[in-house]
Amino acid sequence: MRVELNNIRKSFGSVHANDGISMTLESGRVYGLLGQNGAGKSTLMKILAGYQSADSGEIRLNETLTQFDSPAAALRAGIGMLYQDPLDFPPFSVLENFQLGRREGIFLDQKTASRELLALGKRYNFDVDLDERISNLSPGERQQLELIRLLAGGANVLILDEPTTGISSEQKQQLFDSIRKLAREENKTVILVSHKLSEVQELCDHVFVLREGQLAGKSEIPCPMDKLVKLMFAKMPPRSKRPAYKFGQAVLDVRDLHVETYRLRTENLNFSVRAGEVLGLAGLEGSGQDLLIKALAGLLTPKSGEVLLRGEDITRRPFHQRQRAGIAYVASGRLEEGLIADLSLVEHMVLSTEKPGFLVNWERAGEATQDRIAKYQVVGQPASRAKQLSGGNQQRFLFAMLKPALKLILMEHPTRGLDIRSANWIWDLLNKRRDEDTAIIFYSADLDEVIERSDRIAAFSGGVMSRMVNAAETSVDELGHLIGGQQ
Amino acid sequence: MKGMKGWVLFGVLSVLALTLAACAPAATPEPAAEAEPFKFGLVLVGPRNDRGWSQAHYEGGLYVEENMPGAEMILFELLNPADKPEATLEGVVDDMVADGAKLIFTTSDEFEEDTLGVAEKYPGITFINVSGDDALTGEAPANLGNIMGRMEDMKAVAGCAAALATQTGHIGYLGPLINFETRRLTASAYLGARYCYENYRELNADDLEFTVTWIGFWFNIPGVTLDPTEVTTNFFDTGVDVVMSGIDTTEGIDVAGQRAAADEVVWAVPYDFEGACETAPFICLGVPYFNWGPAYLETAAAVNDGSWKQSWDWNPPYWEDLTDNSRTAAGWVNGEGLAAELQAHLNDFISGLASGDINVWSGPINLQDGSEYIAAGAVASDSEIWYLPQLLEGMEGPSE
Amino acid sequence: MRIPPQLERIWPSMPVIGALLFTSVLLLLFGASPLESYAAMWEGAFGTQAKLLSVIAFWIPLVFSSAGLLLTFKAGLWNIGIEGQIILGSIGASWVALNVDAPSYLLIPLAILASMIAGALWAALTGLLKTRGGVHEIFGGLALNNLAIILTNFLISGPWQPPEGGTFRGTQPFQDGVLLPRFADSRFSPLSLVLLVVAYGLVVLALRNTFWGLKLKALGQNARSAFLLGVSSNREAVIAMMFCGALAGLGGGVRVLSWFDSLRQSISGGIGYLSLLVVMLAQFRLLWVPLIALFFSVVLNGSITLQLRTQLHSSLGGILTGITVLFMLLFGDAKRLGFNTLSEEDDDE
Repeated sequence: MRVELNNIRKSFGSVHANDGISMTLESGRVYGLLGQNGAGKSTLMKILAGYQSADSGEIRLNETLTQFDSPAAALRAGIGMLYQDPLDFPPFSVLENFQLGRREGIFLDQKTASRELLALGKRYNFDVDLDERISNLSPGERQQLELIRLLAGGANVLILDEPTTGISSEQKQQLFDSIRKLAREENKTVILVSHKLSEVQELCDHVFVLREGQLAGKSEIPCPMDKLVKLMFAKMPPRSKRPAYKFGQAVLDVRDLHVETYRLRTENLNFSVRAGEVLGLAGLEGSGQDLLIKALAGLLTPKSGEVLLRGEDITRRPFHQRQRAGIAYVASGRLEEGLIADLSLVEHMVLSTEKPGFLVNWERAGEATQDRIAKYQVVGQPASRAKQLSGGNQQRFLFAMLKPALKLILMEHPTRGLDIRSANWIWDLLNKRRDEDTAIIFYSADLDEVIERSDRIAAFSGGVMSRMVNAAETSVDELGHLIGGQQ
Repeated sequence: MKGMKGWVLFGVLSVLALTLAACAPAATPEPAAEAEPFKFGLVLVGPRNDRGWSQAHYEGGLYVEENMPGAEMILFELLNPADKPEATLEGVVDDMVADGAKLIFTTSDEFEEDTLGVAEKYPGITFINVSGDDALTGEAPANLGNIMGRMEDMKAVAGCAAALATQTGHIGYLGPLINFETRRLTASAYLGARYCYENYRELNADDLEFTVTWIGFWFNIPGVTLDPTEVTTNFFDTGVDVVMSGIDTTEGIDVAGQRAAADEVVWAVPYDFEGACETAPFICLGVPYFNWGPAYLETAAAVNDGSWKQSWDWNPPYWEDLTDNSRTAAGWVNGEGLAAELQAHLNDFISGLASGDINVWSGPINLQDGSEYIAAGAVASDSEIWYLPQLLEGMEGPSE
Repeated sequence: MRIPPQLERIWPSMPVIGALLFTSVLLLLFGASPLESYAAMWEGAFGTQAKLLSVIAFWIPLVFSSAGLLLTFKAGLWNIGIEGQIILGSIGASWVALNVDAPSYLLIPLAILASMIAGALWAALTGLLKTRGGVHEIFGGLALNNLAIILTNFLISGPWQPPEGGTFRGTQPFQDGVLLPRFADSRFSPLSLVLLVVAYGLVVLALRNTFWGLKLKALGQNARSAFLLGVSSNREAVIAMMFCGALAGLGGGVRVLSWFDSLRQSISGGIGYLSLLVVMLAQFRLLWVPLIALFFSVVLNGSITLQLRTQLHSSLGGILTGITVLFMLLFGDAKRLGFNTLSEEDDDE
């Protein structure tokens, strides 16, 4: 089926998620849809799949102007979307779940349904156990089942939203094989939404790149990695004037570090960070930079290697000991990791105090909190609960809780969700810490931020850390290569 | 949600309205006052329908209500800290007295100490503590008496039945925990068995093996007591062919029934409850049981007409008919497993006990350590039986 | 449905009214007069000084364990093992009572201390099973509850059986010197009330004004964030369990040293489970806990008289409390009852 999207617009408040996007998709082909987090990929696909409606613009299927008011309507028209979180119903069995999705007639025709389900499973090479509970299946198996449900529902256009998140590499190969089969042999149109360049290169025929709600470009595949990277990220930002810092002694030495989770491993990490230095980690999300930060914070135990803080081996020290040794960690999820929704700001402040004593003097703590939140421009009262603050204020408050005189600050997405002014404010405060010989390591999905705020940059790709580049001298070309995995 | 709550409220109110309408005129009918009302209290440690100890007492209470005009029972069941941690015997007795009870039965040795306390508190009320000995030891005030059925005789009958039936000459006794009561009951069973082995089987009583295994409590507690099922199995595996039970539960006859179903020749003698043979009737030799009704009725009548005197009653069975529940304090019913010719012997033994021609507690009786307890020609007194310090010579198993 | 303001005003009394109505229906179905029944319950709880003292004597251990649970609930722990901790407390006190020979002024503090230590150690086991062994505290607690019961049975039928042999009831009565002085021949000991007031005050202070209380609160609401803010979740969890166990154990100690005078087969009889209910119904608000515990004690004690008067089913008391709990949950919408949110009790009172 030929799909045309014309000038699709969608705003959430003042954010233009889709800002006039047009594209045409032909049947029998696999398309990649690339973009950073927040580029507008998911919004566009949800509009196409009937999950939400566009503010303006049109959708044409085989030349016919179409409008859906629900995902079910979209599926009837031949468009099916596989969401990141499966929409199945865990307590049910595989067969029941399949029937539930079909809703045909009043009586459940078990025989027909099971025959159909088994036949589809066989065709796409999926193992289907009819009586297994959904809740016992792995994410990959649930995905396969969902795919079968869409196909049985008559989908001609299949949208897969980050389908390889959380599934095994074997299941990924199985999935890719069946996607190719669907396009080549059954003439389906397949759209793969991803931020993983390698997958797009491996599977797709064409790629569309979105950036800040607009179509940044399109290309045939294969296509050079750095071209895609350049399309995904904005141009080289103008670097703001910064006072030159004179870096001190090495604060952190990392030697032959090897960190591993069941999903990814990163090894042979060797670098030093000096007092007052800011090291930015670039790369697509989940490429290994998060493992490094967590290993440095003491939240992941390295398989091997050494971490030295001012020459002292802290490789095996747990999180709290490192905290006391002067390492601060600011996580990316604010209300999940860092703040406690129902606790007041004073309570947070008392908790993060070094030596609070046995009894809490709430009056004095309240005053101290008032001073601190005023300094960090947090809009809120000492008695406000964390959940009552806006996102930006929560982020500022996290920084307000940082202890004085730290050796090392580790941050994930330090200014995500903040406006420019707040972000500048935060970085001004962080930069002041450099005078106290504090080193900073952070990663961000925002390449501009990495380039602008860092002294040196390393990029991660598939668990491999690139060489260090000097932020003042690098180019988007160079970084594109590094993020794409070329040295 | 708010809507839901509204409906629930509405539902409750309508049910209430309907019920009020239906029930309002139906006042409780007063029983025709034929006789002077006489209220008595009955405190049970377990539920009234436990098919064992407490049920036997409850039926005794009902027997009084049926047979004494005007008698009215105030029942309180499950008075134990597990079921009613908030209740105390004293509190319950306070209420019973306030409600007009003149006589209160406390039907467990668990209540012995507290009964002493309330008896001192209410000198005008008569208290009967079942299975206690305060009236015997003289600790009790004048308004507190003790009643116990003379189960020892029925245990002797049970032991006799076991000895008549055994082919291997080896009897196993499934004992609960060791105290005076369980020692004297087990010893009675042994003496009954010895007598019948010698006199009816015409075999040497010293060849009769009698093994007691104490599981440690009145019923199985995994990890603490021995498992009665395993104990019984072990009995049968080591040459025992008759298992007698002294515990509250039915594992002995259960296992025997299974063994019999596998064509083994085994028998069982359960305990405590008249209907205990039901699980495996064909291998059941009979069951000794308590029957409290007659003693309770007699006590109630005596309290009512003012003739009650403190006593420590160890009530004998009604020998003419051990199944006559209007007379006997302890009963014995033959089981289907008891062959007819054995029944004849057993009847002979019972009539011997009844007439006094046979007394299994006649000397010489030695204790397990070999020391003489009852000299040759002497007969054990009640208190010698009640306070038996050890098992007897010839019994295998620990005495303490 | 919009609730009219008149109804809004009486809403807090709805659970009580609802439970009363429902119970009335039930009593009518049983053929008993609701009015007479309630009168009987009232008399059973308040009719005489003895009854009132019995209500208080039963209430004290209940509040001890509820106070302990305030700590563990605050830390987000489901301390189902409270029942076993009460039992171990009574075993600890019994050990002193049966084995130590000392004057009363030493014996009583020793017995109380032993009950607290035993309860705390038993609770620490649950905590360690959770933090070291990865066993959820609900399962660990239930297992240890059973183990505590088995241990009691072993003790009363084994090493601690009375000289005349083991019986159903328990150990022999303790020496007089270890028993808490009782008030007016009742089972209520004023000393236990003094201990309770002190303990409860300390719990309130800990939760409101100590750094430790704040750490528990953080832990209970978001263990991950609390960890990142520097709270050692494992350590605090075990400590909270131990303090709870000490309080529950103290309740168990009071139970053997003043309610009974010996270790019995079932010393707690569900007081621990009841206190879980108390704390949940109070929505963890400190000042409501003793009141709700008192309510339960009144209903249960009143039901004894009710059962004797009406000769209805023996579990009537349990049924009544169950119905009340149901109605509290049904109408217990936090906001309607004038509560704020679940977590704010200690700031707002």
